[in-house]
Amino acid sequence: MNWLSAEWLTAPFELGFQQRALIGGSLAAIALALVGTWVVIRGMSFLGDALVHGVVPGIALAILLDFNVLVGAMLAAVVMMLGINLVHRQTSFSEDTSIGLLFVGMLGLGVILISRTDAFAGNLTEILFGDALGVTSADIAMLGVLGAVTIVVSVLLYRPFLVLSFNEQKAQLLGLRPRLAHSALLALIAVAIIGSYQTVGTLLVFGLLVGPPATAALLVRRVPLIMGLAVVIGVLSVAVGLMVSYHADTSGSATIAVVPIALFFVVLAGRSLRERFARPLPVASQP
Amino acid sequence: MSVTAVTASDVTLAYGNHVAIDRSTFDVPAGCVTTVIGPNAAGKSTILNAIAGLMTPTHGTLEVPAIGGDHKRIAYVLQTTKVNYALPISVSEVVTMGRYSTTGLYRWLSATDRDAVNSAMTRMGIAHVSTSRLQDLSGGQRQRVFVAQGLAQEHDILLLDEPLTGIDLPTAQAIDDVIHNETDRGCTVIMTTHDLSEAQFSDHVLLVSGRVVASGPPDDVLTAENLVEAYGPSLLHLDEDDRLFLDDPAHPHLPGRHAHRERTSHTESSPSDVHRE
Repeated sequence: MNWLSAEWLTAPFELGFQQRALIGGSLAAIALALVGTWVVIRGMSFLGDALVHGVVPGIALAILLDFNVLVGAMLAAVVMMLGINLVHRQTSFSEDTSIGLLFVGMLGLGVILISRTDAFAGNLTEILFGDALGVTSADIAMLGVLGAVTIVVSVLLYRPFLVLSFNEQKAQLLGLRPRLAHSALLALIAVAIIGSYQTVGTLLVFGLLVGPPATAALLVRRVPLIMGLAVVIGVLSVAVGLMVSYHADTSGSATIAVVPIALFFVVLAGRSLRERFARPLPVASQP
Repeated sequence: MSVTAVTASDVTLAYGNHVAIDRSTFDVPAGCVTTVIGPNAAGKSTILNAIAGLMTPTHGTLEVPAIGGDHKRIAYVLQTTKVNYALPISVSEVVTMGRYSTTGLYRWLSATDRDAVNSAMTRMGIAHVSTSRLQDLSGGQRQRVFVAQGLAQEHDILLLDEPLTGIDLPTAQAIDDVIHNETDRGCTVIMTTHDLSEAQFSDHVLLVSGRVVASGPPDDVLTAENLVEAYGPSLLHLDEDDRLFLDDPAHPHLPGRHAHRERTSHTESSPSDVHRE
């Protein structure tokens, strides 16, 4: 099979489970790119990373007690956010300390709970790394709803999110209720992460949350453009990741997550080279 | 219009257990320029925050009759250091935010909104950089953008937190012009400053140091006795002509920190003069 031939490009998507992986992954990438733009712009990456791992005990508990894993993940996210707020309000520590405490605590608790299950290694691997090729039609329907909700909320709350990112006091002065907007953004991030984890796993969902918006921010200069380009990069990352994993026989989820990160460094290198060559040469001194 | 824009009675303003302004009573006249002056951490910004409705008194009352209970009629120009410059946003987008108090979350910008934005950018001399990114501008240009954002907002009171600190001469002149144009149209301007001479040229002064030490016309407030109480005796000195000047080591480069200049008309002495010192 020739490199980049039509067959090379289409072969990874001939079978139904591969097509579902592409559709499900793309829907997850859309939701993650939209909320991830605010995560990158507002410097909330650590919180996003912590939230990604903070849902693990909820998922583990759902596996142990046999109830819906999405409900478990949502409960864990709520507990985590309440914990972060509690530590932040009751102490003089900065927010990243409270995030760090909850991050490690929740992840550790999650692994402890999973270690009580019969298939410890298998369950842990699936939670952390997902199973892109195991996406079902029901998963796609759920991801479709998730994508629609994310798009609608992102449009409706664009102004509060924008001014909140500019300055919280200014948002309050303009009557945009920044605390409510912040809570809505956290909920949106949690929903996008929880809805997407089955596709690429909790560990690697972070790649699609931060990678495409960070790459887009290197290329365009306005928030709506960053969102749009991040969506394109996210969807392309899913397609390229699945293609590479098919031909190279690598983990689909991990390959999807690595693609936007690799693309970020390619774009960064390209931009650095362009700036270097665009810079005027120093004028040689006259003898 | 009410004669008094702000009325505070025995007001205490605190952040948790930390009292920033203790048991103070003062008025701010409407349609005038009022400066709030005092040493670092004296509570200057706290007074602006309370007037803007960002915090509520823990004791006493603070009323703003000039706005009829609608805090969105207050335009507050925050210190430039408090803004997230990582946000990829253009100058016109920043100025447009001032209209969100009127448009709310969803209403499209009307011709009136766009005119207000364009007018504010023109007044502050930044129309030519309207598509530039905020983070690419100099400190002075950023300050112009933030003032333009305040002007674009429909307001009866304009609050400015240290608008003349660390900026270039033309920007200081532009902001000074706007301040006095605002009062000409009946707007109340309240600004914080470290600059005694700036306070001397205002209509009304609040001298603060953990409380409002004195308030009233500059000549009544900026007396040796009051300044010693606010700043302590070590920072106040007499020059060879027996005139007071403030030597504030926290702001060694502040323009016009010497308060011994002869008080002249506004056109003869402006913030642009201040920077020449």
